[in-house]
Amino acid sequence: MIEGGQHDESKLAMLLAKLDQATDILAQARDFAKPAKVGRVLDTARRVLLQEGGVAALEARAPSLEEAGIFRGTDWASPQILIPSFTPQSLKSGNGQTVALEALSELRLLAVAKGDYIHGNVSAEQAHHYLTQVLAINLGLLFMPLSEADRETQGKLAEVPRALFQHVANEIGYEHVIDQLIDEIWRILKQRPIQVEPVKQMITQIALCRANPEIELGSSGQGADRLISSLFGPTQASREDPGIDTYRERLLAMDEQALQSEASGFARAMHDTGLVSSYHAVLLRYLLEQENHLVAEAMGLTATGRDCLLRYRRLVQALIEEAIHPGSPQAVYGLALTLERGILFQPPVVPALWRQLALPLSEWSKMRLRMAFGEEVSLRGRLLEGVLCMLGQPLGVGQGNNPTCQSARALSMWAYNDPDYLLQMVAWAARDDEIIMHFEGMPLSSMASLSGVAKELPMDLDPVSLLVVPHLDRIYAEMGRRCIGREGDPHRWVNPEFHGWWAGRGFHINVDVETGQIKDLEAFLRHFYASYHPHYNGDQPLIHPQPAGIAITDSACRFIGWHAISLLRITLDPRNVMRVYFFNPNNDSGQDWGDGVVVSTAGNGERYGEASLPFEQFASRLYIYHIDPLEHGEPADVPIEELNRVSGYLYRSWGADRLPAQELQATPDAEGEVSPQRTGG
Amino acid sequence: MEKDPDKGFVALLGWSLNAVEAAENFDRRYIVVAPDWAEDYCKEHDIPYTPWNFERLNDRSLEIAETLKDMGVDVAIPLYEETVEWAGAINSVLLDNPRLYGQALLLRDKALMKRRAQLGGIRVGIFEEAHDRDDVIRFLKRVNQTLLKLDGDPNDPIHLKAFDKAGCLGHRVIRTPDEVDTIPDEEFPVLMESHLDGWEFAVEAWIHNGKIRFLNISEYVTLGYSVFVPATPELEKYREQITAQIEKLIKAFDIDFGFIHPEYFVTSDGEMYFGEVAYRPPGFKVFELLERAYGFNAYQGLILSFDPKTTEQEITDFFPREVVDAKCHAGCFGVYPRRRVVSRLEMPEETEDHPYFESHELTPPMEETVTKRTAFGTHWGLIYFSGDDAHTMRDLLKRQEDLDFYV
Repeated sequence: MIEGGQHDESKLAMLLAKLDQATDILAQARDFAKPAKVGRVLDTARRVLLQEGGVAALEARAPSLEEAGIFRGTDWASPQILIPSFTPQSLKSGNGQTVALEALSELRLLAVAKGDYIHGNVSAEQAHHYLTQVLAINLGLLFMPLSEADRETQGKLAEVPRALFQHVANEIGYEHVIDQLIDEIWRILKQRPIQVEPVKQMITQIALCRANPEIELGSSGQGADRLISSLFGPTQASREDPGIDTYRERLLAMDEQALQSEASGFARAMHDTGLVSSYHAVLLRYLLEQENHLVAEAMGLTATGRDCLLRYRRLVQALIEEAIHPGSPQAVYGLALTLERGILFQPPVVPALWRQLALPLSEWSKMRLRMAFGEEVSLRGRLLEGVLCMLGQPLGVGQGNNPTCQSARALSMWAYNDPDYLLQMVAWAARDDEIIMHFEGMPLSSMASLSGVAKELPMDLDPVSLLVVPHLDRIYAEMGRRCIGREGDPHRWVNPEFHGWWAGRGFHINVDVETGQIKDLEAFLRHFYASYHPHYNGDQPLIHPQPAGIAITDSACRFIGWHAISLLRITLDPRNVMRVYFFNPNNDSGQDWGDGVVVSTAGNGERYGEASLPFEQFASRLYIYHIDPLEHGEPADVPIEELNRVSGYLYRSWGADRLPAQELQATPDAEGEVSPQRTGG
Repeated sequence: MEKDPDKGFVALLGWSLNAVEAAENFDRRYIVVAPDWAEDYCKEHDIPYTPWNFERLNDRSLEIAETLKDMGVDVAIPLYEETVEWAGAINSVLLDNPRLYGQALLLRDKALMKRRAQLGGIRVGIFEEAHDRDDVIRFLKRVNQTLLKLDGDPNDPIHLKAFDKAGCLGHRVIRTPDEVDTIPDEEFPVLMESHLDGWEFAVEAWIHNGKIRFLNISEYVTLGYSVFVPATPELEKYREQITAQIEKLIKAFDIDFGFIHPEYFVTSDGEMYFGEVAYRPPGFKVFELLERAYGFNAYQGLILSFDPKTTEQEITDFFPREVVDAKCHAGCFGVYPRRRVVSRLEMPEETEDHPYFESHELTPPMEETVTKRTAFGTHWGLIYFSGDDAHTMRDLLKRQEDLDFYV
């Protein structure tokens, strides 16, 4: 880590030297020659922004950059006329120079607002007011994970605005944006992600703001109490965040009743928010040492969980000892939910967990875990925490900022449906650095496959994904390569072989792979209704999660890309609307897909981690699904009015320019991205 | 910069921002001669300017020469291929030397220039003019017959070039008679040349009073993709031979002043073959690379070598010593999108993080579908590198060919 840090510093220093050089050239150029020199400055500035500490370094250089003429000839040359609501446009641009220019303008105004830079056209107060508005408008960029749309249009560039606003918010003060932040945190927590580090950071920021007497929060930030307390002081004895050692001492002096109140206090907070306090881990370990019966209470277990705990007490004890530490408190939540799911009663799971407890890690696995999580907790304990969380929260798996939706979906599906298989995958990856899967009888080794979908090794993942996804990604890509030359979409063959026997071998797609045009839409929808809609499939609930592909659109209905999800349930919601509940490996499922199609994550009967849409709306974004051809339902029964509504949604969004030839002249040249050869997201 | 009235007054034919910037920062008076779309810009920035549309030479051609003469301009400098004959015509008036116009015409026509070079005792490949596709097929067959190829053997390619376009524009490689059908009618007539298997390179030479004042050898890593200066020692070892070749060229074309940019092949047995020569600054920003490598402004060198009032001392002091005075190697790479469908510009980290990387001029894609390349020519922008080691530079430029800049 230290070496890496030094390397980054020297990289920043090198880039800053290049930036200063480019700025000098710009400053010396005559007015008419400046436009030709601006590009080099902005490119270098963009690279600086991507480095740790780069934003601050640019802020310090803002006056000299403006003087050199970086804004000359543009609207940004007159900061007094800038309009905050235009900033998202330029910050989300795919053009790196536009993003860098906008970022530089914000940093210049930050320097003005702080009084470090006296500007001829704006006062410090004006600059401060402007930045506050910019922060509020771009709140999403401040803390929300990257969306599919950002990733598609911006790539690595998408990190620039995030780094920028982190810095601006730190300097300008969070109090101006805090209430919106709190609502967003709750919305994300309701999806119960496995990775809570970003959320914890935000809550910590809020807590720091509130604790800082210099920050005037006024009436804002009231809704943050539960969030902050769940991390830093959920119970009577931890209320004032006393520190781990003090808290342990307090436990020694507690009687049974006090312990009982601590245990239930922690459990309530944990199940309320999905966040676990470090003190909770301390209590649980203490109760274990004391062989106290309050262990179940402290995990908030119901009957099923208690049964599991009592039946497999030795295993649970070993799991707690290995995985649950003040540095890995989320393991408590993972363990509690694993017990609640009752999966320990499946015969292979308990011995598989014993294997996990003793699993030797390969050097490569250790290195990856160390780089991502450090060594506050033993590496095997860290991995075990990840395993427990994935088993307990199968729908909390996220793909991070990587195009590996397929692998994330597979992990989630196995955790949900086939937990011992997941444990087998983890053992192979973590111990052997190799996973072998079979494709049509041919073994495919993750070691032998050249490359995956992701160009770089993903780092921003939970411990299990961190080790397993690189293997899965390569195998998935290799399966795709084995299908080169076959007619139609490779997912037909890849999905069942990749995910498991339960993925239906019947396959439907409504896009012509050659042309990217919509084809056979009515039949496609009829079979989907007949297989999945309870009114047309004989009221048969979905048995196994099924892989499906959707065409993601943005809030303006524009096509963004192909994306992998799993279908989980189709049933009536509390308002008697037929809904599709599905898992989206994207880190935040709450997305606006345009035309009134807004994916819901809570409040419509969703379980934690599920996303949902009314059946019609969901069907309109679907482009691939699998079925069991022997359980085909009654396609002819679906009324045409219903199908027309679906195709209406479809043709108003991603299908708008994919009308089939008989309805409109097709462009014969369309190929590449428009065709769904591979699910990118 | 303060202008010295005792030194020459030059006219720059064609619009080049870098040339204007160099002239602005130099002690000579200058005026830009460019089409009227440049007028607003020049006015706004106080750039001396007179409008002229460079179409084909016609009855009014004398008019611009007279205008410039009345202003007191001493010499006209062509910045683009299309303005070379204009410079010849104008300079024949300004310098009272009718021969200059003929010389310019020679330098504008690739077929004429090859003949002239041949007459001057310079080696050239086999070449011929083609007026239609049949001529091309006949030439392709004849060349391959000469090479003793049997029916069915793969053909040696031939090269087709427009007579009067700069560098790679309109350059096609033809291997089979089928490919001949892809040539549009409007490209004829063209010059056809046999393919020379050898190492192609370019030379930039500044000439004053009939003598070479600075001679640069530009090494192509891959033609149409990349170039760097100074060249590797392996190419520089030919410098003496190359200098002798350029001297022959100066004599054959009777060049007394100015700047030439010829291209040669050196074959494996060390024989030099003349490709073509241009009387204007090279494309691919070699001037910018020279400034980066040596620190002198090549456009200012251009002005010096054209200005009849330049003194011997002045021009000797201006240019550094070749190769030894270079502070580094500077190179650039022309990016062509490799995918058929692209959505954005994304610089590979490998490129940006290389210590030699300096800057780039790539712009985001305007259209998602990339038109198929049929001829050499239009790259989407350049990437600049500089560093100490010639071989690292060469390998780095080569490596860029395997990377995607548009995804």
